[in-house]
Amino acid sequence: MTAPVRTRRPAGAPVLRPERKQGSTAADAALTLVGACFLLPLLWLVLGSLDPEAGHETRVPRTPGLDNFAAIMTPELLFQPLWNSLVLSAGTGAVTLAAAVLAAYPLSRYRSRFNTPFLYAVLFGTCLPVTAIMVPVYGLFVQLELLDSMPATIFFMATTTLPMAIWMTRNFMDSVPLSLEEAAWVDGASRMAALRTIVLPLMRQGLGVVFIFVFIQAWGNFFVPFVLLLSEARQPAAVSIYSFFGQHGAVAYGQLAAFSILYSLPVLALYVIVSKGAGSSFALSGAVRG
Amino acid sequence: MHRALKTLSLFASAVVVLSACSPGTPDEGTKTLKVAYQKTDSFTALDTMFQAAKQEFEAANQGVTVELQPIEGNDDDYGTKLALALRSPSTAPDVFYEDTFKVRSDVDAGYLLKLDPLLEGWADWEKYDDAAKAAGKADDGGTYAVPLGTDTRAIWYNKKVLAAAGVSDPWQPRSWQDILDTARKIKTNDPSVIPFNMYAGKGTGEGTVMQGFYELLYGTGSSLYDEESKKWVVGSAGFRDSLAFLRTLYDEGLAVTPAEALDANVWKKVFGEWFPNGKLGATVEGSYAPSFWQEGGSYAWPAYEQEMGVAPFPTQNGEAPGAVSMSGGWTLAVGAETKDPDLAFKFLTTAMNEKNSLAFTVESSQIAVRSDVADDPGYQGANPFVKDVSELVSVTRYRPATSDYPRISAAVQEATEAVITGSRTPEQAAADYDAAVTDIVGADKTVRK
Amino acid sequence: MQLDHRARQLVRYLPVLPAVLLLLVFLAGPVVWAFQASLTNAGLTGRSARNPEWVGLENYQRLLADPAFPLSLGLTVLFVGGSAVIGQNLLGLAIALLMRRARPAVSSLAGTAVVAAWVLPEIVAAFAAYAYFSKDGTLNQLLGSLGLGRPEWLYAFPMVAVMLANTWRGTAFSMLVYRAALNDVPAEISEAAQMDGARGWQRLLFITLPMIRGSIATNLMLITLQTLAVFTLVWVMTAGGPANASATLPVLAYTEAFKFGDIGYGTAVASVLILIGAVFGAVYIRLLKEPRP
Repeated sequence: MTAPVRTRRPAGAPVLRPERKQGSTAADAALTLVGACFLLPLLWLVLGSLDPEAGHETRVPRTPGLDNFAAIMTPELLFQPLWNSLVLSAGTGAVTLAAAVLAAYPLSRYRSRFNTPFLYAVLFGTCLPVTAIMVPVYGLFVQLELLDSMPATIFFMATTTLPMAIWMTRNFMDSVPLSLEEAAWVDGASRMAALRTIVLPLMRQGLGVVFIFVFIQAWGNFFVPFVLLLSEARQPAAVSIYSFFGQHGAVAYGQLAAFSILYSLPVLALYVIVSKGAGSSFALSGAVRG
Repeated sequence: MHRALKTLSLFASAVVVLSACSPGTPDEGTKTLKVAYQKTDSFTALDTMFQAAKQEFEAANQGVTVELQPIEGNDDDYGTKLALALRSPSTAPDVFYEDTFKVRSDVDAGYLLKLDPLLEGWADWEKYDDAAKAAGKADDGGTYAVPLGTDTRAIWYNKKVLAAAGVSDPWQPRSWQDILDTARKIKTNDPSVIPFNMYAGKGTGEGTVMQGFYELLYGTGSSLYDEESKKWVVGSAGFRDSLAFLRTLYDEGLAVTPAEALDANVWKKVFGEWFPNGKLGATVEGSYAPSFWQEGGSYAWPAYEQEMGVAPFPTQNGEAPGAVSMSGGWTLAVGAETKDPDLAFKFLTTAMNEKNSLAFTVESSQIAVRSDVADDPGYQGANPFVKDVSELVSVTRYRPATSDYPRISAAVQEATEAVITGSRTPEQAAADYDAAVTDIVGADKTVRK
Repeated sequence: MQLDHRARQLVRYLPVLPAVLLLLVFLAGPVVWAFQASLTNAGLTGRSARNPEWVGLENYQRLLADPAFPLSLGLTVLFVGGSAVIGQNLLGLAIALLMRRARPAVSSLAGTAVVAAWVLPEIVAAFAAYAYFSKDGTLNQLLGSLGLGRPEWLYAFPMVAVMLANTWRGTAFSMLVYRAALNDVPAEISEAAQMDGARGWQRLLFITLPMIRGSIATNLMLITLQTLAVFTLVWVMTAGGPANASATLPVLAYTEAFKFGDIGYGTAVASVLILIGAVFGAVYIRLLKEPRP
């Protein structure tokens, strides 16, 4: 499996081999230290979740057990918020992907003066700090009476990830040779039919990467649903975990840790899938390489 | 990979379609009432009340569905969430739980329905006392909210901790100096105990001012707002003295550490850990304190009836009337945009009928605002402190009922935070407060006293 | 003929429409709304909620007079400079360079640890950081056991705590960028330099870094923009406190608009943030347009 990432390095050019002649032990030690420092804050999460008497301290549980997990496995505390997260994230992924594929096709296949400015405008959109527009978005949602609506929130979250998704999708689409499509045209297929039957299947891996990328972002998004979804029944796990923290944070650290772990597992799994499949630089392929 | 992806996207689109259809569009002929209120792990009395009212109301009114929307969060978060929902007609609830100090500003915003024509037809309304009724009134003289109960604030102290330090029981401080003397005595006796805590900073929100700063300020003879001239007081010596008192408490380590004070959950430790474990001498808290400790409360502690004592908060130097207290309370209100005002009000009266009111008042240790509840033996015997805290009504003060108040309160909280963290001196913080008030209401609405 | 061509062009670009609509309604719309609302006294409650009045530049004048705003602006610069430009960027580069010298197993394990903090949902990372820096948290356990004292990080040094937390959370991005960039450096150049007798750090400074300067610039821009928008991490760890000592611009905008109910003033803060983002965005795009070395 190769990542369809556009690079400017001609294929087959020799690259710098890792220099392992000297200093390798020092580098090993330094990296181990760095890795340990990065893991330390997570250690509390894991140990705390197994410790029914957890506090802020990191310690090996005196009586390890799954009590914390059992305590939070209730429909209203865990399953409903997780389901809401799933609806929000999958919805956002689907909307983003659909809009991005449609937009990327002309940008990838036609030459026009329109392409470059549009792509730069889109890229500029990725630069806007989303947290800064949350106050105005709230105002907009009030005026349009869209507050506390799942579909509207999905469309908004899709829009915030759309610029990046268009950019990535176009790059993936560029790597599908035009000649294959042309053969289909000769057979009388329309442009959209060719897109559906030839191009999309060939870039399905790339589409998977985009979908998962958007899904992970939406799953972890706290601020957007925090402001736009008001009723308890629609809140995703990110928000319900926050109100759990606000209410029980001073008492039930262990349950908070257990909740955090269950909530994080799906995105960790998705990340592993995608990084196995497409190389860990997947998320950067669009934005950084240009 | 291919098939997996296809399933994934199929699933995703199914989910979107599902979610697009799901927001409950009620069938023709049935009516839905949305009810928004606060619910936390330590405050479930209201949830109990609304659950009961929902059953009663749905049984009596065929075809009506009551949709309960509990909002989980502390007072501050609840206030924010409610305000966010009220602003849009599509999300505004029909009936909701409203803090008395927000009534006027929300009336000004057009969020509350004027209840006068509806109240005429409700026999129970006569049983409410006038002071409580005033809390639901707006500038135009109309009534916009029905009070659920009221409260007072006093010093709650742990008799064991005080006895250990040689303080005689019952303890009744006569001045601020008395408080400091006793607190220092407790600290010398056992440095591991927090002698006398008062909330401060933005973390505890409205609790900071209601259970802390205002007891100080109103005990100096000063006030926040001059009712006669209808202007906000700036530059008062009382304001500076109050901040200086807080500074002394925190600097000498007589209160909690500033870091603990800024934690929004500090009050849970007060009720749940420090008092029951004898780690706290005294604090200023509301008359509702027993609701946490009584049977079924969130920090049940049967011994509280014997181990805790209550004393009025003294004025600065013992000036008449010798004690000061603050009252607030919550109400139920009807949304201005409700489609069926009569039905919404009818639900409100069901929720607040005598049975439900009594149960709520007892469970949340409120001070009764209706005569039938006040006379009920179940209320009078609910806990040993009902009489003491009810008597404070004679010296109690209310927050200025103006729509600027919530912002002013935030400025006061900011001043206390600056002082206890040591980032400003009391004089500087008071000057910052004056500037903030002038900024909020305009120089022509302030008065130097 | 001309017209026909135009029409065909239009039809061809029809599929772009959904994306354009979404971007206009949900991205451009709020930005326009923000600038407009920042010129009013719109509020969450009170008279101004019903009838917001046009107040011109009053909110912006208030911003300049409000001591909280310059403080917040300064904190935001400190936060971005300290945790993104210095923290994430340098640490990410260092890790990427070290990885080329270390054993593959070690480098992949360390890489996983660094990436783990980045992949976690933001709110979970924020809880973990909150617990880590709290009074009896892991960091103080470590410092205490070394006899270095147990300061209250979130209270006494809130900015240090949130900056370290953001470095911890975001370094993975820079690391991945630099790993990819270093892999693209042709071997023969470095080898030639080695034969000329250049030492390791000289090769790094005069050959490797100049060759990846495009990636460095892009990375700097992207992490600056990401860090500028960080809200959840700060909100959970300190909520901007104590006494506004860690209230960066997003936190200030949220507090003013929703906690204090002053939507007009809050959007004025947000507008400033949008402008800063726009400036960085424009610079970023200029960088991308320039031909790479």
